[in-house]
Amino acid sequence: MNTKKTMTLNLTEQEMEVLESLSTQKDLTKTAVLRQALRLYQLVDARLAQGGKLFFEDGQKKKAELMVL
Amino acid sequence: MNKELDRKWLKKHAALEDGGFVSVGGFISTFEEKSSAGEEPVGVDALKHAFVKLLQLKRRERKLSVEELAAKADLDMAELLRIESDEGYVAAPFSVHKLAEFFKLPERPLMALAGLLKVKDAQFQQQALRFAARSEPVEKLSKEEHRALEEYVKFLCER
Amino acid sequence: MRVIVELLDHQSGEFIEAELFDEVTIDHFLETQREWRPVVTEAALYLAKAGAKPILVPRHFHWDWTKKEADLRMLAITFYGLGCGGALQGLMKLLTVGHTCRLPEQAGKPLVYVDYLEAAPWNIKPLMNALGKAPRYGGIGTLLLEAAVQKSKDEGFKGRLALHSLPTSEQFYLKACGMTAVGRDPAKQNLLWLEYTPEQAERFITRGTA
Repeated sequence: MNTKKTMTLNLTEQEMEVLESLSTQKDLTKTAVLRQALRLYQLVDARLAQGGKLFFEDGQKKKAELMVL
Repeated sequence: MNKELDRKWLKKHAALEDGGFVSVGGFISTFEEKSSAGEEPVGVDALKHAFVKLLQLKRRERKLSVEELAAKADLDMAELLRIESDEGYVAAPFSVHKLAEFFKLPERPLMALAGLLKVKDAQFQQQALRFAARSEPVEKLSKEEHRALEEYVKFLCER
Repeated sequence: MRVIVELLDHQSGEFIEAELFDEVTIDHFLETQREWRPVVTEAALYLAKAGAKPILVPRHFHWDWTKKEADLRMLAITFYGLGCGGALQGLMKLLTVGHTCRLPEQAGKPLVYVDYLEAAPWNIKPLMNALGKAPRYGGIGTLLLEAAVQKSKDEGFKGRLALHSLPTSEQFYLKACGMTAVGRDPAKQNLLWLEYTPEQAERFITRGTA
């Protein structure tokens, strides 16, 4: 269960910049950032599949729906 | 890691844990405080829950679906579904009477569990709570559920 | 993952081998419902009879096991179990997404959030005392918390961890575990949010020698 597989990832320059920025901001390795992204994607996807909705709430408590496709 | 240090550390922490409920979101966190020591420790909610659990277990004991029970006990299926799924719903007295008749359960205690009769008997309430806590809605009755069901029905019949 | 750890056996005063594992299944959840909850409920009743304050009564019984089964498949959710003597002695659920640090010096950084941590009721002293018994095993909360810190390190979060504490455990997490109280969370029944910095987490798992 804990054995790992290696993958080569091709990213655009912009994508790589975002990845590096997040890595610095979050004090994570780039691999850890991508793992977090995968976890978040799976979790959101599962909740949406169960009929849930994903919202962001702004400072005025106004909700805007965000759907992950 | 040094085993002696580990053990010393664990012993110290175990003693500190003993001071309270070291849990996050466990069962004890689903409990709420009752404001007055004079009140019964178990509310109507627990009785209703025991009522629903009792009906579900008796139905499953006879391997009946909700639809089949409704047909055999001459009950409205929609109401029966509501009784089983909505603990806030108060069953009609006639429906409780029909269920008591069908399952051969004593009517007055069943009415009390359904919230149709007031009861101040602390033992009655505590037994309801114990019974409800011991049963779970999985399809096949386990041996423990059988035993809990039999004991509880016996208790109800003795009221 | 399966690791041998040691629990304190209160009855003998000796240390006994237990197994910490992450291959938790729905059967473990069912075991807590079947074996743990009735004991907690009974103990609460005895506490109420003994006039203990506050008087605790069960709020609700509804338990959605289907959702818990789905949680087992989520990468963002890790469960740990602690087994000993053929029974489940502790259970914990960790989230690696959905929460970030609130301490100003590490605000916004990812952490492991302890969503659920519970020892079997026969290991909890106040509950067992209410039933006129002694607790069985000790150190379960500590060992699970240690596993949570290790998980945080394995994930690259450097030991950053947080939880919302029950009022009766606040002092344990603050004093014994050395966590920092950040504040009461109105979104979570005003429970206290406690957090580890990497340094605090390291000190905890190195038994205070770091």
